Amino acid sequence: MNADHAHRAAVSVGVLLIALLGGCGEESAPHERVLRVANWGGAQVDPKFMKLERQIREEFEAQHPGVRVQIEQIPGEGQYAPKLLMMHVSGSMPDVIHLDASYAAVFMDNNVLRDLKPYIENDEAFNLDNYFENIVNIARRGDRLYAIPLDFTPMVMYYNKKLFGAAGVSYPHEGWTWDEFLETARKLTVFPEGANSPRQYGMNFENWMPSWVLWLWTNGGDVLSPDGKRASGYFDGPRSVEAIQFVVDLMTKYRVAPHLRESAAAGVDLFRSQRAAMDLKGHWAMIDYRADGIDFGVVGLPTNGVAPVTVVYEAGLSITRKARYPDLGWEYIKFMTGKDVQVRRVASGLAISANKQAAAQSAGNPVEDAFIRAAQYARPPWGARVERYAFIEELGREMMEDILYSDGELPVRQALQQTAKLIDAALAE
Amino acid sequence: MNSSRERKWRGYLFVAPATIYLATFAFFPMVFAGYMSLHRWHLLKQEHPSVGLANFAQMFANPFFRNAIYNTLIYVVFSVPLGVVTSLAIAALVAQRLRGVGFFRTLFYIPAVSSQVAISMVVIWILLPEVGLINSVMGWLGLDNTTNFLAEPGWAMAALIAMSLWIGLGPRMIIFMAGIQSIPETFYEAAAIDGATAWKRFRYVTLPLLAPTTLFIVVTTTIAAFQLFTPVYMMTKGGPRRTTDVVLYHIYKEAWQKFEVGMASAMSYVLFAMILIVAALQFRIMRRGLIEGGAE
Repeated sequence: MNADHAHRAAVSVGVLLIALLGGCGEESAPHERVLRVANWGGAQVDPKFMKLERQIREEFEAQHPGVRVQIEQIPGEGQYAPKLLMMHVSGSMPDVIHLDASYAAVFMDNNVLRDLKPYIENDEAFNLDNYFENIVNIARRGDRLYAIPLDFTPMVMYYNKKLFGAAGVSYPHEGWTWDEFLETARKLTVFPEGANSPRQYGMNFENWMPSWVLWLWTNGGDVLSPDGKRASGYFDGPRSVEAIQFVVDLMTKYRVAPHLRESAAAGVDLFRSQRAAMDLKGHWAMIDYRADGIDFGVVGLPTNGVAPVTVVYEAGLSITRKARYPDLGWEYIKFMTGKDVQVRRVASGLAISANKQAAAQSAGNPVEDAFIRAAQYARPPWGARVERYAFIEELGREMMEDILYSDGELPVRQALQQTAKLIDAALAE
Repeated sequence: MNSSRERKWRGYLFVAPATIYLATFAFFPMVFAGYMSLHRWHLLKQEHPSVGLANFAQMFANPFFRNAIYNTLIYVVFSVPLGVVTSLAIAALVAQRLRGVGFFRTLFYIPAVSSQVAISMVVIWILLPEVGLINSVMGWLGLDNTTNFLAEPGWAMAALIAMSLWIGLGPRMIIFMAGIQSIPETFYEAAAIDGATAWKRFRYVTLPLLAPTTLFIVVTTTIAAFQLFTPVYMMTKGGPRRTTDVVLYHIYKEAWQKFEVGMASAMSYVLFAMILIVAALQFRIMRRGLIEGGAE
């Protein structure tokens, strides 16, 4: 009886304490303004970066007495945009959101965000010229601007210097061609006599459309028409057919890249495990490569008869239309995209600062310079312009599976024609 | 009289929280989804034109959706009977009063308290070619160890079904165990005196008396099987070649990649109708087969 009694007493005291503490919290800051900022999960798992983020947040709070910044993490692949859109519909949208270019269109084209132009015009302390212009333009719709860019990364070609050295192959140079790429990849492929599959590949391949779409672009093809309204005539156009045929040939004819069966069979990233000499990735990948101790170099993508091109993925900050404290949100955006904060944030290696002054800090580093060079001619992703692009990428991924698992039964041209029709239908609905 | 009225009032008070909760978060959304299913309803656009049954016509005209229905049914047809039989068999084993049986009960229940995402990750590892658990064992035995279970059409669905047996085992086992332990010992004693073997005791005592429990498990397992999503999303994305594409994955894509919540609602109603029909059939068949005829 006594034990039971003591237990109950302890619980009651606990409940009382929680109630008291809760009450105290409210009393101590009666006029506190809470600025809600939505972010996806990411580099925050790194304790050093988390600490830095907290320091930066506390500095902002120190500069703005009575303000508390509440970061709302929405982790989970593919769950950030849906959750935010539901918050918008239900009226619980945060004041500021991190906006990723690859799915920005649905936010920009549905009146979810505020036009930042009036804020920029009325604020002498802010100068849009401090940011890379083609990165800023990703969030532009005519006269309106929906986000200030934080950081970005173009997709580039990584190469493993050790594997190149072992094969006695010279490193790729800027402005290289598909032919030179294929030649290089062949030399770097190790396919022992009698084996079922190569032991080492010249190039990695993942069925991830944000990456393989670049073979279309570097061949002068594209997924959609320039107005983003249809795929027929573009996705199944001759340049696109040629590009996808080349990608498929890399796996099935030249055997320099892993077939889906083989890459899944490895169970690990083949570039990271140093069994593929080249890979097409963004800036973020080098965090892992460095951690793994891979000696890598970076170069622009090879092209086939067109000017250099790549895609740039970007993250920016936006003020939501349903924001409770939009002006405070603007102050936060200015603070976060400013030089001081940017210099410290990009040190994490996740991306390149969109703030020119901050980006200039790493000038002279050959890897960073290669990224900056690629950014000059990079195009925004279709997802920044077409709101259903995630669905189109799903169709693209399924198409690639269809082609590769058909083992030659399904001709590339036919697959692209079928998929172009499906994309047209999805865009017309 | 006064006190009986007060009792009634109190009764309503007690059911109020659950009723309000269900009305707000279950009944209202269900009715509203029905309304949305008859409209072209973009999540963020102001206009929602009424389209009658066009959403339903459109989805059944879509060969990929029909394929997803087919895949969902395949999954249900295999995962439900296998899931029920395996969990019943294991429940029958761990329901016995043996030393150390608590350890096995815990072991079998563990997947139920883990996140499906975490389980998917473990299963991906188990199924990997060459380095995965299954293929490693195959390699030691000198067998072909290159099968890529999640990337080969045919194997991927089998892998999902196998995984469902493991995930669902714990809860089903617990309920079966409770059912088995509530059967009075006297029945078994009587049967033993009549000379019934262990199998006959199971077949003619346990099974018929367990029928209500079995019905409950079959129906709830079926409902869960129709709602397969997380492993597909985590492991196969509907592939390879759409062999694991299921109805709920289509609902997800309509709602969150195309933002067509009207179409997503219509698909949800189709899924609901499928579950309702199958569950009703199960009730009819099992009532007759097990509860009435089972005692023979």
